[in-house]
Amino acid sequence: MTGVAGALEATGFQRAFAQQGQQLLVVQWGAAWIDVSRKIVAGYEPKTGDRITWETHAGGAMAIVAKIKPVWPHVSYNLISGWDPTFRAMINEGWVEPVSLDEMPALKDIPPVFFQKDKAGRLMTTPLSTSGAFWGYRTDLVDKPIESIEQLLEPRFKGKLCVPFPVNLTGLLMLTLAVQRGGNERNMEPGWTFLKELAEKGQIGRVINNNSEFINAMSSGETSVAFFNIGAWTQVRKRFPVKILSRLKDNKGFLFNEGFAVIKGNDPAKIASAKRLANYFATAPINEQYNWPLGEGPTNPNAKANPEVADVFYKPDELSKYAYIADFEYMSAQVDGYAKRWEQEIAPLIRKA
Amino acid sequence: MRLSRVHRLLLAPALAILVALLVAPIVLMAVESFRPYIPGRVGSGAGWTLFNYAELISPAYAFYFWDTFRIGFIVSVLAVLLGVPIAWHAARTRRHAVRVFIFGLLIGLLFLSLIAKLYAIQMTWGASGPLTFFGRLIGIPVSSPRYAEVQVFIGLLHFVLPVATLMLIGTFQNINPQLELAAESLGAPRYDVASTITLPLAMPGLLAAFMICFAMCISNFVVPLILGRGVVLFTTNLMYTRFSDVANYPSGAAIGIVMLVLALGVVYALTVLVRTLFAEDLRP
Repeated sequence: MTGVAGALEATGFQRAFAQQGQQLLVVQWGAAWIDVSRKIVAGYEPKTGDRITWETHAGGAMAIVAKIKPVWPHVSYNLISGWDPTFRAMINEGWVEPVSLDEMPALKDIPPVFFQKDKAGRLMTTPLSTSGAFWGYRTDLVDKPIESIEQLLEPRFKGKLCVPFPVNLTGLLMLTLAVQRGGNERNMEPGWTFLKELAEKGQIGRVINNNSEFINAMSSGETSVAFFNIGAWTQVRKRFPVKILSRLKDNKGFLFNEGFAVIKGNDPAKIASAKRLANYFATAPINEQYNWPLGEGPTNPNAKANPEVADVFYKPDELSKYAYIADFEYMSAQVDGYAKRWEQEIAPLIRKA
Repeated sequence: MRLSRVHRLLLAPALAILVALLVAPIVLMAVESFRPYIPGRVGSGAGWTLFNYAELISPAYAFYFWDTFRIGFIVSVLAVLLGVPIAWHAARTRRHAVRVFIFGLLIGLLFLSLIAKLYAIQMTWGASGPLTFFGRLIGIPVSSPRYAEVQVFIGLLHFVLPVATLMLIGTFQNINPQLELAAESLGAPRYDVASTITLPLAMPGLLAAFMICFAMCISNFVVPLILGRGVVLFTTNLMYTRFSDVANYPSGAAIGIVMLVLALGVVYALTVLVRTLFAEDLRP
């Protein structure tokens, strides 16, 4: 067989076959996500003959959902990077191709709880990262340590808070503030009250829409305290001393999964190629390479996590004490309300402060 | 003037494109604005509703409309005021090199990427930029929302000033310089010539430049998105959130239709005002 393979190689047959790979359009987040993805794919394309074209998310991941809806089923995307709430929206719309352990053997290693499933129980996503949203601050810009987010009402934080627009992170900002005051995703009123207090006092200096804005705001020193995803925090941590508040006594770290969804289409060859690419990202060495610069946890248990974020993520016995996994299916249905309430009640207070 | 059959046939293709690319989308948007939105789903549901308009009656949304028009109005006035001397000089100077320099600068600014300009403004005037002292100079802390508004003003001015100036160059070139020379030769001081000869004759051009700048400002989405720091929001940003982030198309469409009606109203009111104040000078 080796001889046959070698012969095929010598005649250029394999090269010709490899060159007949598929052209795939993949949507990925910008900043470190697209950088590491390009590096991974640089080694993948020659092996398979597939050619990957990238498109970056414009703002939050939900923006791609709004982009697909008007043109469905005439969509050119083959693979979309997303996270739990986005996947739920796409699965509910019937856009996602189911995946199976037979087609994608790398998925066998991934804990079942990380997958998003449809109503029939079929696996619908390729989880690549365990991530979370946390409060954190730059220790070089904050004089005394922060031990509770109640301290964010102090005058020293006036104009220094960087928070995501409520649609970003599907309302996790309101949830963390609600949890602080005894609420949860179905009782967000305490969170809105806390948010109004922060807005009235002028604590909020910047409202961000994406990773790049967060990285700019925190790197420039314009703001010093923020609530955002660990992937973006990792980019700031590379250059500045940052303390991630993942073990607060009176609040939580909000965990979620990111990964790929294969989009339905008419071309079985492209769907097969998209699954092959997603499977490649889920293999242990590539999953490790992918998550290392992002500072997120790999989903493949055989992949090593970046030790630089070991202080952030939880050991199994810490999960119940410090971690919170939100009901994203419920929260996804509330984002319109979150956005409107922000516009009507919070944004005017921030402007007047 | 009645159009002949030939004229109508020649106009038909352009009209068809106008209807297809401009009128039809607006009509579809208007229809969409009366549809209900189902939370958790993408786009609109079946049936009809006035809810999308009813929720805009809130004082908070009145503020967004007011803010958008207020900032757009002020920037447009500033663009015309700043553009007039540059345009007049470009139109009247006898030095070819100066005219070429002004044209080159204005056209170069137009060709320069708006995104690049906005990030340059953010880095220069922002919290850690070299011109941060400007905030202290005008008594506004750089981390405050008011300073974000100042940056939006600067960004919009950067965007519309070249357009206004180029339009006004054409306006001043169309005013016969002999009229100004004649007035000066009769003893009128320069400021009198400007206010009684040049300005009234330039009024249609000034109004056109203002309207173009105003339309560009109130429809701008990128400048408040990048420089507004998430605290200065135009109605265009609200629409973007509806269409892109939340997929609530009906609400976004309702905001768009209200903006269109208000903008047309403002343009009509300003046109009537100017025509009333300068009726004599605008008469052909």
